[in-house]
Amino acid sequence: MDTFLQLLAGNTLTRLIFFPALACLPLLFIRRDGAARAYALLVGLIEAAFGIGLVWANWGSPFPLLRDGAPLPWIPSWGIQYSVGMDGISMPLVLLSVILLPIVVIGSWEGIHKNWQGFALSLLLLTTGILGALLALDLFLFYIFWEVMLIPMYLIIGIWGGQRRVYAAVKFFLFTMAGSLLMLLAILWLAWTYKEMAGAWSFAFADLLRLQLPASEQAWLFGAFAIAFAIKVPMFPLHTWLPDAHVEAPTGGSVILAGILLKLGTYGFLRFALPLFPQASQRYAPLMAGLALVGILYGALVAWVQADMKKLVAYSSIAHLGFVMLGLFAFDLMAWQGALLQMVNHGLSTGALFLIVGMIYERRHTKEFAQFGGLAKVMPWFAFFLVFSTLSSVGLPGLNGFVGEFLILAGTFTSKSIALRGVAATATFGVVLAAVYLLKMVAATIWGPIKHEENRSLKDLSWREKLLLAPLCLLMLWIGVAPEPFLAPSRPALAAVLTSYQARVTEIPVNTVALRPEAPLSEVALGVQPPGPVAAEARQ
Amino acid sequence: MSPSYAVSTADLWSIAPEIWLAGAGALLLLLDAFLPALKRAFTPLSLVATLGAGWLAWTSVPTGPSFHGTLDANAITCALTLIVLLAASLALLASDGYLRREGLLSGEYHALLLWSSAGMTLMLRANELLTVFIALELLSICLYALAGYHRRIAVAAEAAIKYFLMGAFVSAFVLLGIALLYGETGSSRIPEIARALAEGKGSLALEALGVVLLIAGFGFKMSLVPFHAWSPDTYQGAPTPFVAFLSVAPKAASVAVLIKIVAAASASAPLAPKWSTVVSLLAVLSMLGGNLLALVQRDLKRMLAYSGVAHMGYLLIPLASLNRDSWVSVLVYLFAYALMNAGAFAVATLLFDKPGEQHLISDLSGWGYRFPVKSACLAICMLSLGGIPPTLGFLGKYLVFLHAVENHQIWLAAVGVLASLVGVFYYLRVVYVLYMKDEVKAPVAKAGDFLGNLSAGLAALLTLVLGLWPGPVLGWVADAVARLG
Repeated sequence: MDTFLQLLAGNTLTRLIFFPALACLPLLFIRRDGAARAYALLVGLIEAAFGIGLVWANWGSPFPLLRDGAPLPWIPSWGIQYSVGMDGISMPLVLLSVILLPIVVIGSWEGIHKNWQGFALSLLLLTTGILGALLALDLFLFYIFWEVMLIPMYLIIGIWGGQRRVYAAVKFFLFTMAGSLLMLLAILWLAWTYKEMAGAWSFAFADLLRLQLPASEQAWLFGAFAIAFAIKVPMFPLHTWLPDAHVEAPTGGSVILAGILLKLGTYGFLRFALPLFPQASQRYAPLMAGLALVGILYGALVAWVQADMKKLVAYSSIAHLGFVMLGLFAFDLMAWQGALLQMVNHGLSTGALFLIVGMIYERRHTKEFAQFGGLAKVMPWFAFFLVFSTLSSVGLPGLNGFVGEFLILAGTFTSKSIALRGVAATATFGVVLAAVYLLKMVAATIWGPIKHEENRSLKDLSWREKLLLAPLCLLMLWIGVAPEPFLAPSRPALAAVLTSYQARVTEIPVNTVALRPEAPLSEVALGVQPPGPVAAEARQ
Repeated sequence: MSPSYAVSTADLWSIAPEIWLAGAGALLLLLDAFLPALKRAFTPLSLVATLGAGWLAWTSVPTGPSFHGTLDANAITCALTLIVLLAASLALLASDGYLRREGLLSGEYHALLLWSSAGMTLMLRANELLTVFIALELLSICLYALAGYHRRIAVAAEAAIKYFLMGAFVSAFVLLGIALLYGETGSSRIPEIARALAEGKGSLALEALGVVLLIAGFGFKMSLVPFHAWSPDTYQGAPTPFVAFLSVAPKAASVAVLIKIVAAASASAPLAPKWSTVVSLLAVLSMLGGNLLALVQRDLKRMLAYSGVAHMGYLLIPLASLNRDSWVSVLVYLFAYALMNAGAFAVATLLFDKPGEQHLISDLSGWGYRFPVKSACLAICMLSLGGIPPTLGFLGKYLVFLHAVENHQIWLAAVGVLASLVGVFYYLRVVYVLYMKDEVKAPVAKAGDFLGNLSAGLAALLTLVLGLWPGPVLGWVADAVARLG
């Protein structure tokens, strides 16, 4: 406990994770909407400063593996530890989360009309859950944080959402819960197997990675993890909660959901499912890649026929996340880099698109294309940001989306498997389709003549709204023009994970559970060994 | 065996908590008759009784057998005693405002509750079946009277009658079971019955029947499917704060006896595997039945009654593969259940003020904003009952499932997981109604009820805090079980 409090006081990952949750305590006494809103912004900015500061202090290629000292015992009788760490793989997502937090607060500034106190509480608790899940290195801890994300998101959709908000919120909750309960069983099974082999309980990721499981067990366990993560991503055919949740969620909720929550699914595959069950991953890779492809095409086709801007963006998420999944199951360094970058890209561009849709919804209280047309004449700034974010989402060279998709497709296409090359080739049509449906939305809303009189008097974006979108667009451009600084820090980590993964795939399959020799986490799943002094300094 | 039946001082110390509780109950009755001015102090006085009994159980009860092996105390029975007394204390706190509001404040309520607690704490230490039966009757008769305590409303009478009729019937079952076991094994002491069964003494069929009757009896007290039919009606009509006690304490005491009986019955080699099947079957039926029936309830108390059925189903999972570690999951689960269930009923006492009417969940619509603290307590208890981290309820479920996985009963854990997914749906509905619907019914203005709020707040806070920081509690339980040797 004392050590934990010390960690909480220092410039550590622990402070990064728990600061938003602790900031909820004073918030309990701030009842007024205006004050709660300002307070949430303040906390968001401080949290962003913490996050950026921590990453900045350790920036470089390779990005070092940061740990908060030795793991602390949490429930010692069952070997459950409080153990967190950040490496080149989790760093970009952590950065994205802390940057989006203040943006979401500002983006909800006008859109949330009631009970800001509750909204801010949910948002801050959600942030703690997200960061905890991204940084946890103990599977029990990971599961707790994973579930902690559920309730705040349920409340955000259910209280501040649209017409059918309750249906959407319950559906979101039950889908996610069903998946995560399966994962819980799998985690229990893993921990128990480890206890049988090593004689002591442990949920530590490093310990569980030592288990070498027979093919059938791997298949079951991989299945349980994969369903939990695939629901979160969401992969076809487990995606049906997503359009409902997105359409009904308030703007801020959609941004968090699309920007970060979905990435937890893909991150889960990369961090846990693939390294823990390498042979099963390899065996089911064709299935997963196939489903990813279906997701890409299906998401795109369904998005094409939408008449509602928010629904269109929601379905485009399914397609975009399909690319990420395809990249992950190509097992190629270039594809993995593309996948990791694409997770961030999707957070930026889809986040911006949801914000933009929210802005027009606040003005006209509708999201249907048919109600718009010719907005570029009355709202030039709005048109600029919409076109910019759309082009980023489409994958225009020079913006971030292109880099990610190119790396994924190129990486997948260079694989030895003919089938995978075919999948990559087919997936390329997804890029074309993305241009079709996204540009259709742009054309229908901002170009052409002004069809509705009430649109003539619409106000262009305020300084608040411009301020909100500017950093996102700046990042899109930056990543698009000069991606290397974003790729380099995580490359060694991805390479290390891939190397150990490939070594495990080629291991001789076992018939009963075996225990591999102990190896430092940095060599098998978490990238690079911390270069002593730098990391130590950051932990002060 | 020693032919002398002399009672030593150590024997008396071993029932010190019960003596204290019974004495306190009698004192309260006398005070009610002779010093009615003291009525207002009855709740604090009875809290002194429960806390004192807890302190005695913790410090003074000597470990090991007493009364020539009739009773047997150890760290586990101490923990169970504390759980029973915790439920009693929370219920007493929640009762104060209710009794005043309804004009029912009198010593009988407190006395009956304390005596019933004494019956429970005695029963869970009993190692001899007739003592078990006497303790069972002591606790049951007090509970029947308490269920009908609200004399002026019809549903209370219905609650008490249903509970009493079925309870009396079940008592006969238990007695017949004891008689059969005594007839076939020649003893009513549980260890000796186990020894006789291990030696294969007596008729297997009659012994099996005896055990089945005992399981049915305690299954009734725990409201397991198919012995659960009384619980929704009784919960609905009985005074709400008393249900906080009824839904927790007798179940805790009964599961202790059930474990002893199943353990003893498993000593018989030919029967041993059958008990695991029977218990698994009861667990599956209760988990699925309880959760599915709870789904369609509109009354909060009935919903919680069925949810209680499901929770007892989860609690049986560790019994299906009975070993020493089962106790760890059972104790943690019971502790969590005591806090979250008592908390939920404590909030229900505060929010619903017409005992004769239904306690419709839909009446709570929008009250999340009108009563922020009470609603938050109810929401925490609901999420904990649903097994959502980071609450104590999740840890309980987690340990139960872990025990199943550890003992190669992953299918039982899988059914449990499936059932808890169903459960989440209706627990979440309460949260939904509280926060996501507009108010439909204006609550009646009531005087503040400090003790009631304290009960609800304490239960919810502990549920959350111990869920976040469970190390010490889990460590204590694990140590206590490990020390059993």
